[in-house]
Amino acid sequence: MAQLGQPLSDYQRPHQVHFSPYDFNGGTVLAIAGENYALIATDTRLSQGFSIHSRESPKTYSLSENTVLGCCGFHGDVLTLTKTLGARLQIFEKEHNKPMPTPSVAAMLSTILYYRRFFPYYTHNLVAGLDEEGKGCVYSFDPVGSYEREVYRAKGSASAMLQPLLDNQIGGKNQQGYVVQPMPLDRCIAVVKDVFTSAAERDIYTGDNILISVITKDGLKSEKFPLRKD
Amino acid sequence: MAMMTSAFPSNGPEMLGGFGMEWLNTEVSTGTTIMATEFDGGVIVGADSRTTTGTYVANRVTDKLTKVTDFIYCCRSGSAADTQAIADIVKYHIEFHRMETGEEPLVNTVANIFKQLCYDNRDQLSAGIIVAGWDKREGGQVYSIPISGMLHRMPFSIGGSGSTYLYGYVDSQYKPKQKKEDALKFVANSVSLAINRDGSSGGIIRLAAISKDGVERFTLTGDQMPKFFEDC
Amino acid sequence: MAAPCVEQPKGGFSFENCARNSRLEQLGLKKPTAYKTGTTIAGIVFKDGVVLGADTRATEDTVVADKNCAKIHYLSDNIYCCGAGTAADTEMTTQMISAELELHRLNTGRKPRVATANRLLKQMLFRYQGYIGAALVLGGVDVTGPNLYSIWPHGSTDKLPYVTMGSGSLAAMATFEDRFKPDMNREEAMKLVRDAIAAGIFNDLGSGSNVDLCVITKDKVEYIRPHEIANQKGVKQGSYRYRRGTTATLSSEVKKIELDVFGTEVKHQPMDTQ
Repeated sequence: MAQLGQPLSDYQRPHQVHFSPYDFNGGTVLAIAGENYALIATDTRLSQGFSIHSRESPKTYSLSENTVLGCCGFHGDVLTLTKTLGARLQIFEKEHNKPMPTPSVAAMLSTILYYRRFFPYYTHNLVAGLDEEGKGCVYSFDPVGSYEREVYRAKGSASAMLQPLLDNQIGGKNQQGYVVQPMPLDRCIAVVKDVFTSAAERDIYTGDNILISVITKDGLKSEKFPLRKD
Repeated sequence: MAMMTSAFPSNGPEMLGGFGMEWLNTEVSTGTTIMATEFDGGVIVGADSRTTTGTYVANRVTDKLTKVTDFIYCCRSGSAADTQAIADIVKYHIEFHRMETGEEPLVNTVANIFKQLCYDNRDQLSAGIIVAGWDKREGGQVYSIPISGMLHRMPFSIGGSGSTYLYGYVDSQYKPKQKKEDALKFVANSVSLAINRDGSSGGIIRLAAISKDGVERFTLTGDQMPKFFEDC
Repeated sequence: MAAPCVEQPKGGFSFENCARNSRLEQLGLKKPTAYKTGTTIAGIVFKDGVVLGADTRATEDTVVADKNCAKIHYLSDNIYCCGAGTAADTEMTTQMISAELELHRLNTGRKPRVATANRLLKQMLFRYQGYIGAALVLGGVDVTGPNLYSIWPHGSTDKLPYVTMGSGSLAAMATFEDRFKPDMNREEAMKLVRDAIAAGIFNDLGSGSNVDLCVITKDKVEYIRPHEIANQKGVKQGSYRYRRGTTATLSSEVKKIELDVFGTEVKHQPMDTQ
């Protein structure tokens, strides 16, 4: 029996709606540093909830001739962050008359992210390029600016599916007697295609296409590869 | 009518939270226009045809005029599940009653069974029902049973979210002892006006005229609906 | 608290851990998620019967749990039912109603009607007030002809010539609203349902993989699974076979297992018919 003064169960009680400044738009990025190349790959699906916004939206952004940023998470923040980064790199280039080296881009990105320590960009970042010695380098970031140089790294919605495969296939983890040696580029591209194909089977936010970008001393080359569309 | 209906269990809103799929989980939201009026010799019942779950129209050609006996109909508003279940139970009881007495049940009897179910389970139900029909003792009658199970006979009654736009209109336009054609026009005009103002009402207009001769059903599709000023 | 459930269940659900679980939840334990068939299911009435369709993806949050699950359930020889919502609920609900319909058939000696299945399902779902998360598309052919219903978890039903359910229902309904017409022939109807399900598969992330169809006519049922493999699995570029000895061995030991070996001869014995 309903008591006087108590809300009737017939009616929906009022509820406060909070403004939510973040959203999640899916997407996965992956980068591998080779001996004389760096590779960065991304799927091209942009989604929200159970809907697909775009099937042609890669989440890699070329910042200079030999630096590419992989950036996914909340697409609004991705747009703002890449715009800011682009502006800062242009200023650098005008002041120093040369593009910013990849390790410096990584260091600067770290400070840009930490500047928003208490209202962070909801983005997962990877920077891939060549270091001053011409070797491939990959830097991975957390959303508030902690970063480190790594050989291979996956970020984004399917990262938990990709990373263990990379650990095994590139890092040689859990393989007795495996000698880790520099991986030739074609083998590396094949592994990237395969791990993305597998992730698209099980992660609903990964699919449509992958865009693989390879940075060498000769510049940037890109390749597209189809994934499942469902 | 309004119809709560959800494709997922109500214990799992968190599972869909942030997926932009709140409509799948929406609890009861009322939205409908139903109406009944007496005329000289019987009653007219009318309703729109929209069933919604949140913002999604689950059925655009719903029949909210539900038959109870050959001479008595009810108009359903509120939760689709609740009102369908209630109407089914009343039909079951009244069929026994009809067989036991060997006569057509009185509208008053049917209305009282509806009321008793609505009142006894008022904590769990969300149902606003209008019962209307004809019997040989009292002629055409309209009974209104709003949300928590009150019962009241009135010469005409409106219900559902669309009815809030109608009170002024029906109070000014209702006339006792109308002819059937005028009463049909009165109900069609009212439902049409409500559909044009209430987002939760829509589709087509369904009408029924009940008299000593039984029931006549009508539907008015978009092009047949009465038109009023529509520019703002 | 009740003793561990070793005796035969008497029927109905067990609620013995409700109080404990709600307390654990208050303390911050996350409750396990059930498989959801974030689904596209649909059905239409055509000239000689009904066509039911479903995708085949089951999800657990954002991960695909089953890439080829069957969402069109058997109710009786002339009635089938597509299920969306909590996978366990759709499966068990249709199984229970299927058993009731079979008993009804044996008691009455008549083919069950779709209206009967609809009434049984809606009354069961209404009794559980939406806590059984089954959203169904019910279709079949009986003495009255082809019938199609949509049934919502709270127990309301709609009888319509074309219906859709699940997270992909908007995509599928858009296809129907565009192209449905009454009295289509069998091929047109199958094509339209295929296209509706495909719309869900490609545009709704909760739906995916293949299209299953079920065509029910007066004296024939065709359950076509899969009707179409809408998404081909990607082909692997490399080989991932490991060299012998890749798995690390911490220690090894060979043990002899003592066995008592004895033979048993099975002889033919005539059945006892006394």
